[in-house]
Order: sequence, then C-alpha cells, then structure tokens
Amino acid sequence: MKKLYGSVLLLAFVYFQNIVCSHAQLPFDEIMMPKGEICMAGIYEVGKWDQYWEGGYLRRNANIGTLTRQMVMPMVAFGLTEKINIITSLPYISTEPSGGTQVGQSGFQDINMSVKVDWLKRQVGKGRVLFLTNAHFARPVGRYLSDYMPFSIGAGAPELGLRAIGGYKMDNGLIFRVAGAYLWRGQTQIERDYYYQNGSVYSSFMNVPNAFNFHAAIGYWALENRLRLEATYMSLNCLSGDDIRSYNRPQPTNKMEVSQIGVWAQYYIKADKGLGALAYFNQVVSGRNVGMASVLGMGLTYQLKIY
Amino acid sequence: MKSQYISLLSVILALGLGVSCMEDTPNYFEFEKYELSSLDEDGGSWNTLLVGEPTQISINEPEPISAGSYVTELGELKEKMSSISADEKDAVEYWTNNPVLRWNELALEIAAKYNLIPGPNADGSYTLPNPASPEGPPPFPFAHPPYTSRMLAYLSAAQFDALVVVWHYKFQFNRPAPYQVDSSIQPAYPKSQLPSYPSDGASVAYVSKEILKTMFPLEQAYLEERYLEHLRSLEHAGINVRSDIDAGIIVAKEVVDVARQRAASDGMNRAQTPMALSDSIANVAFDRFGWKWNNMESPIRPVGLTPLFGKVRMWHVPNVEEVRASPPPAPGSPQFEEDARELRQYARNMTGEQRRIANWWEDGLGSYTPPGHWNKFAKLSIVKNKLNPLRTAKVFAYMNTAIMDAGVACWDTKYYYHYPRPVETIQGFKTILGTPNFPAYTSGHSTFSAAGAEVLSYFFPEDAHQFQAWAEEAAVSRIYGGIHYRFDAVEGTKQGSKVGQYSVNNAKKDGVF
Repeated sequence: MKKLYGSVLLLAFVYFQNIVCSHAQLPFDEIMMPKGEICMAGIYEVGKWDQYWEGGYLRRNANIGTLTRQMVMPMVAFGLTEKINIITSLPYISTEPSGGTQVGQSGFQDINMSVKVDWLKRQVGKGRVLFLTNAHFARPVGRYLSDYMPFSIGAGAPELGLRAIGGYKMDNGLIFRVAGAYLWRGQTQIERDYYYQNGSVYSSFMNVPNAFNFHAAIGYWALENRLRLEATYMSLNCLSGDDIRSYNRPQPTNKMEVSQIGVWAQYYIKADKGLGALAYFNQVVSGRNVGMASVLGMGLTYQLKIY
Repeated sequence: MKSQYISLLSVILALGLGVSCMEDTPNYFEFEKYELSSLDEDGGSWNTLLVGEPTQISINEPEPISAGSYVTELGELKEKMSSISADEKDAVEYWTNNPVLRWNELALEIAAKYNLIPGPNADGSYTLPNPASPEGPPPFPFAHPPYTSRMLAYLSAAQFDALVVVWHYKFQFNRPAPYQVDSSIQPAYPKSQLPSYPSDGASVAYVSKEILKTMFPLEQAYLEERYLEHLRSLEHAGINVRSDIDAGIIVAKEVVDVARQRAASDGMNRAQTPMALSDSIANVAFDRFGWKWNNMESPIRPVGLTPLFGKVRMWHVPNVEEVRASPPPAPGSPQFEEDARELRQYARNMTGEQRRIANWWEDGLGSYTPPGHWNKFAKLSIVKNKLNPLRTAKVFAYMNTAIMDAGVACWDTKYYYHYPRPVETIQGFKTILGTPNFPAYTSGHSTFSAAGAEVLSYFFPEDAHQFQAWAEEAAVSRIYGGIHYRFDAVEGTKQGSKVGQYSVNNAKKDGVF
C-alpha cells in the first residue's frame, strides 16, 4: 500500500492544474512514503473549456472558442524519513484557442517544492484516524507572462501554502478524507506599468489574491490494494480581487473561485516492481472568473528504494 | 524527530518570505510638494484655444483685504484649518498646489474604466453605446483611443483657457494669498507670490468636473463628490478664501459653456456611422485601390470604429488632407512582402525585449489608451520641472489637442485607404495582441505618439531625445505585436510629427514657454 504513495501524490498535484487561479498545488492525501524511497512520475493532462464565468455570468466568446490546455508534468517524491516526505514538480503547459486571431502560450510553469509531515495515526473503532500537514512553496520559472490571460499558463506569482489533512481510514478499505489549505500568493510581474483594478494602478506588479482551498474525498481500495478509486470534491476561493469586466480579458488580480467534482483510479501493474498507472477526470461545476473546464489526465509512476 | 520537522518547515517558510517582499501598487502619482518654478505674470495674455480675449469673461473686483467681508472670510478659513479632520488632511495632501495633474489622472482613470468594447448580443448582433441612454447596456461611452483623445483635448483646452483668464485677473487685481495677509496662517503647500483671486484650483476643479461629466455622463455623482472634496481642500490648505473660490468658478462656467458648444458641433456625433455608410466608405476604397479592410472578429462587427472620426473638427490643422499619408504599398507588392516577412519572423521568434515593448505599449482595452500613456509622460516632466498650474495646463492642452488632431488625421488616412490588417493578408497569421476594429494604415499608436513627442519635445527640450525614442518604440511595438506592418508605423510616425508641429507652432506664439 505504501508503494501507491507516489501516484496518489501526483494525482493530488494535477487536480488543480487546470484552474487558472491556482498553480501547482500540494498533495492533500493521507499516505506517506517510506524512508529512502523515491517515486518518479510523468503525467499528461488535457483540459478544455468553451464557457467561462465573467464575474458570476457564464458566457462564451467566439474569439476564444474552445481553449485547450495541455500539460506534461514530471515529478519526484522522496521519503526523507518515515514521517517526513519531500515532493517536487515542474509542469510544462501549452494553451491553444480554437477561435480568434490570438496565439496560445506555452512554457514551463511553476516549480513546486513541498514538505509533508505525518503527525498522527491512531486506531479508533474500526479504522484509523489520521492527521497530516503540508507546507509548500511554488514559484514561476522561465519568462512566461501571466498577463496573457486567458491564454497564459499560470498566475506568475510565488505561492506559500499550509494545509491540514484529516482522515478516517476503515479497516474494510473505505477512506474518508478532508483537507483545507490557506494559500498566500505574492505578486506577478507584468510588462505593462499601468492597469485597471477598480481604479488606476501605476505599477508593473499585480497582487494575486490569497485563497482558501478545500478538498474532500471518499475512496475505496480494491483488488488486494492494487486498485484505488476515489470520488472527489475540490473548491478554491480567492479571498479578495476584482471581477473580469464586461467582455474584457481576465487578469491575475481577479477573484477566482471554482468548485469541481472528479473521479480517479490508479492501478498497480506489478505490485512488487513499483510500476503504476493512473487516470482521472475532473469537471468544474461552478465558478467565478474561471473557465468551466473538463480535464482528463493520465500518468505512469515508478517507485524504488534508494537507501 | 520534532526538531527535524521544525527545521524543514522553517526552510519552507524562509523560501516563502519572497512572497512578502511586495512592490507598491499606487493608485496615483505621489510626488514631493514643490515650489512653483515661475509665476508667469503675463500668463493672462497667452493665446487661448476655446474662448476669445480674457476680458470677454468678467468677474467682480475683489473686496480689499481691509474689508470686513474679507476679514470674515479669513476668520472662517482659519476656523476650518484648525478643525481639519484626518480625511480632510489627506485630501489636502492629495490635491497638491497643482491640481491640474490630479484631474488629468482622474480623467485617465475614468477613461480606463470605460474603455471596454461592447460584446455581441445572443443573436450575434452588436448594440452600440448610446449617449441618449447612457446606462446601456452597453454603457456610454466606449472610451476607445479616438474618444479618449478627444475627451482629453477638451478637458485640457478648457483647463488651460480657464487658467489664462484666471491669470489675467490674478495679476490685474493682485489680491495676496491668505498666508501673505495673515502670517499666522501656515499653508499646506510652499508659499508663493501668486495672487489668490480668482482661485486657480477652483477654476480647474469646476472646468474639469463639468467637461468630464459631459464626456462620462454616468460619473456625474462621483465627479461632483471629487469636486467638492477638492474645493474644501483649497480652504483647508490655507491658499484660498471663499470669494477666491467663487470667482474661480464664475470664470470656469463661462469656459465650460464655450467648450460644450464646440464639442456639440465638432462632428463627433456622426463619427460612428450606420452600416450603409460604412460599407460605402469601404467600397469607395475598394474601387480606388483594389483592397478593403474587414473585421475578423466572431461574430463580425458590422461597422469599424468611428469611420468618420477623420471628419471631426481639428484644433491646429486647417484641413485634414494636408496631413493625409501617401498611399501604402499594395498587398503583394515587393515592399508589402518584405514587411509581411518581417511580421512572420517576429511571430516565429520573438525576443524578450520585443515582447516587453509590445506589451508595455499595448494600451489596449481596459487601459487609458496611447493618449493616456503620453499624458503620464507629460505629468512626470511637469513635476520634474516644477511647473505652475498655468504652464501645466498649457503642456496638456497643446499636447492633447495635437494628439486628438493626430487621431483625426490617422483616422482620415485609415478609412481613406481602408488597408487590411496582417491577420487578413497573411495566411494563418496569429498575434500576441488583439487586432483592433479598424483599418491598419496608418498606425494609431505611431501617430498619437509622434504628435505627443513633438509637443513634449518643444516644452521639455532637454528630454526631447527620450520622447522621440518613446515615439519610435510605440510605433515599432505594434509590429512586434503583429497588428501593424512596418509601413503603417513609419508613415504613422511621420504623420504624427507633422501634426504635432502645427500645435507647436501655435504654442510658440505666446513668446515664452
């Protein structure tokens, strides 16, 4: 079961990648990797939307058409000790609109480093109560421009996140989990030195709003712990920011909000050799200043012991 | 074990400290209070742009400082100054002794607020903003570059004319400022010998809010609020008594009337044409040249932006055809192919610097437009040179009327030649900037910017090379952005300089400055 760790982490990461508001999220699951083990993974994801929320108004724009966002993300997770894990990832993203005359964007997005700590595992009744935390830091790499929204590949700002994860894992394979995180975001540097955010701003920096991120899942382990299935819910709410103005483009200062439901599955092809595969699907069900995206992802993971 | 957690968490937190190093995101230009570099005692004789001789606007001779009514006003002023609240203190700091700058900033802010292009209706049609029912949707106005250039021209011309008249009476009546009369009054701004009757601040405040109300009818309440805040600050700052303020407003009202009359009949209300007229303009060009521009949006916008802005009355150029650009190279000609090749090359391989330039000058939807960008440059030079309000208004007036003239000249050329955009002529061409809803030749950015640079170079010759370099950069930014050919930019720059020179020639007639 521990060997499933890498895949689960990966999945957690990629859940958020399709959301313009957030980039490179933390894992929010309950599983820890053993000391000295390393997991390498590659994920491919494709997300599409042809409607987006301008403030609270769901609309289309034929000059965007359908926006397709593809991502390839290598990732490495490492068990520093039994109780402390380190995870890092760096996605490459490209966007392409089907309509209009403007180009999509592509490039490496944000490097993400996180530390996950296992604080509590205690048998209570027919299962175990779990409590873990995550701290992560992410920052843009390369020279991608956050100000090309909705075509830009990320918010372009550093992010520091702290997340608490609680769960109840039953002896029969069912698991219930919730996670809540506060995300502090910094500024993104743009190439204009004036912009409008409820008034004039004479600066080439935009404040990306802080956000609260919530996640809940019900999972089940089957086929002797080789198949894991989960139904998930995720929401992310910026705590400040402005709305996209009428028929105008979004910008990183926007108050983005999103709720999404999803399913995912992962399967361990050879339980002893550490090779695994995963697939997931997410659907945004409500939002504000974001695209109503459907996202399909798949990946391979390989886990080995290095000391 | 526990200490390990803590040290790891502290590493993460230390990394995160980068987040807390935040740059300022100011909403207006903060500058040190300055002493006015000149008084311009002869300013009342400078040429006006809207009104005739200053004496055509008359105000009463002020009460002498020995009069009981003046002493009462002075007492009221001191009373207000001594009971000033924190907010009122902030307002005094904000408005400064050169409030022309603040009203200019407010104008740019409102322009950016209204610079939103109407989106399509559900059936694919478009509704245009309508001044007769400004609430919309869409709200009136769409403050696109021609609209904003004209708004700024009227605002600045009216501010300038009001101040010429104000200066005339200031030095005719020579009423000293309250702090010159009563040494117990400590003004918020550096003391000067500028006479206080009529109040230049009040005159600028009234003119500005009224012109802006005309241009942005939905902002009336907001403008009235800022106006009253500004008026109160004049007494709180200890620079004007009530009768100074009232006289400033009397002058302003007369100037506003003249400005409104000109604006009502300058042809702007016909600039956005019906579709039939717009089609006939396109067909005339097609018959003449064998090409015409088409809107490439989805759904297609049936009429380009203000096809008859080129017919709007100019400020300095007697006849727009004097400054119409010569014909562009035909699509398919060797020069066209060379310039199209250049565009494809930038699209394939753009440097970081080219991208930065394209974005820095975008001044697109939601922004204060290229005319706004030049107003910001003007503001910086004005503060650097510590100009008094009259000179400040003169810089803005001659620059903004020149920029509007440049827009008129550019739009005349655009709809005369009706030249297609790169996204139409180059197969499969995509751009980093949005392609605007009007023909390519000549480039508006280039024309506006060269006119702005020409005028600023006259007023601030020590920075002329910088203004010219900016104008060149603005022009080339549109090539990097993929929305203009090099010949649009080169000819637009020439056209803008030429137009700007008309304004400079008029500005020179005052002899000084």
